[in-house]
Amino acid sequence: MMTPITPAVELTGLARRYGAAYVLKNINLTVTPGRTLILRGGNGAGKTTLLRVLSTRLRPSRGSGRVLGFDLVREAHRVREHVAYLSVFGGAYGGLTARENLALAAKLYGKRGHTDGFLEHVGLHDARDKLVRTFSSGMKKRLGVARLLLADADLWLLDEPYAALDESGRELIDSLLVTAKDTGKTVLMASHELERSARFADRILDVRGGTLVVAPVPREVSRV
Amino acid sequence: MSKAGVGDVAAVVEVARKDLLLELRSKEVVVATLFFSGMVLVILAFALGPDETALRNAAAGTLWTALAFAGVTSASQSYQSELDEGALEQLLLYPLPRATLFLGKLVANWLFMLVLSALLLPLSAAVFGASIAQHLPWLLLTVALGTFGFSLIATFYAALTANLRARESLLPVLIFPIIVPVILASVRASSEVMLLGNPAESRGWVQLLAGFDLVYLVVCTTIFPFVVEE
Repeated sequence: MMTPITPAVELTGLARRYGAAYVLKNINLTVTPGRTLILRGGNGAGKTTLLRVLSTRLRPSRGSGRVLGFDLVREAHRVREHVAYLSVFGGAYGGLTARENLALAAKLYGKRGHTDGFLEHVGLHDARDKLVRTFSSGMKKRLGVARLLLADADLWLLDEPYAALDESGRELIDSLLVTAKDTGKTVLMASHELERSARFADRILDVRGGTLVVAPVPREVSRV
Repeated sequence: MSKAGVGDVAAVVEVARKDLLLELRSKEVVVATLFFSGMVLVILAFALGPDETALRNAAAGTLWTALAFAGVTSASQSYQSELDEGALEQLLLYPLPRATLFLGKLVANWLFMLVLSALLLPLSAAVFGASIAQHLPWLLLTVALGTFGFSLIATFYAALTANLRARESLLPVLIFPIIVPVILASVRASSEVMLLGNPAESRGWVQLLAGFDLVYLVVCTTIFPFVVEE
């Protein structure tokens, strides 16, 4: 008898409101492990809110959700063990160096060993001892990518990963998405850059009016 | 498949270490806090005039006034660095019990206040002619318990107001009514030692401080995860 696969993400009637206004109204979604999904939608559509709910940063106002079998509310601590989130801002401390930021992340993730390899991978090796407050937006995003790789999570939540990056930075995100596919990680990505990101997508979902609508992957896109 | 996070105690140490490093590097805040506290002592000394008895009587009160104002500034600053660049968002996503984050920030604020106390105590003794050498361990115990209680409340309310626009003006308004028992007990316990040199008289106040610290430690650590929940 085959053992059923635990979905990477399973949302049922999930809603989230800010004050009286519902940003997410009725989200039903099942994601098989190892898939890459793109969330598309205009500003304020609810893409980031959905990613933040999945990261456990925001509680659902209604409905339920599970990540890799763990309940988003009752087992939030367990969910956080399996999820890594790349925010638009990067989430680093400006008063610490890149190396100190990553060392802190390594300790809080319970990882051992040097972090310099991750900084080299994202092209920040030469800037590793500079304070992050002196970094450009793109460099901060690269540091966020280093932390994402360090976390080695099963589910990656990427909020506009291509934003603020130069061409080599964009190629870094491309390679990140290839790595995700090769290593069986599940990716949910909010992106306005569909031409680029759709190459890696198994599904594209439009976030519209607080719900999800399946959109076709563009035919002209050459898939990876 | 479960990945063990860092031990809770190690996480507390890491968060505290990070906060202290950030605090030390933001030199303008450290210098401003030290200068401000010193100024409070000196201005009050001038206001009280040359009467040695009046100065000695006011020593403990002015010391705790300076510490209280500095403590609010320090706690407020410890969340400012979290708000820049969305760092708090990331901190809350690590696979750690959220109480460890609170305890880490509490330890950092407490250590900062202890260092400040170590600088202000001799200054206060010199300016106000109070005795600190006699029964120093007892006085240090009072300062340790008093600053711990203050840091507890300040750290908790700084988290509560972290996302508010008017947090810097709201923080003292919220903290000071709650902190009254700690300030009162700290002032009374310190002045018994500094003025009368009689620690036995201050035992009740020290016990009150210890009790307050224990109750608020349990309450704040339990509630903190809900405070940062959105």
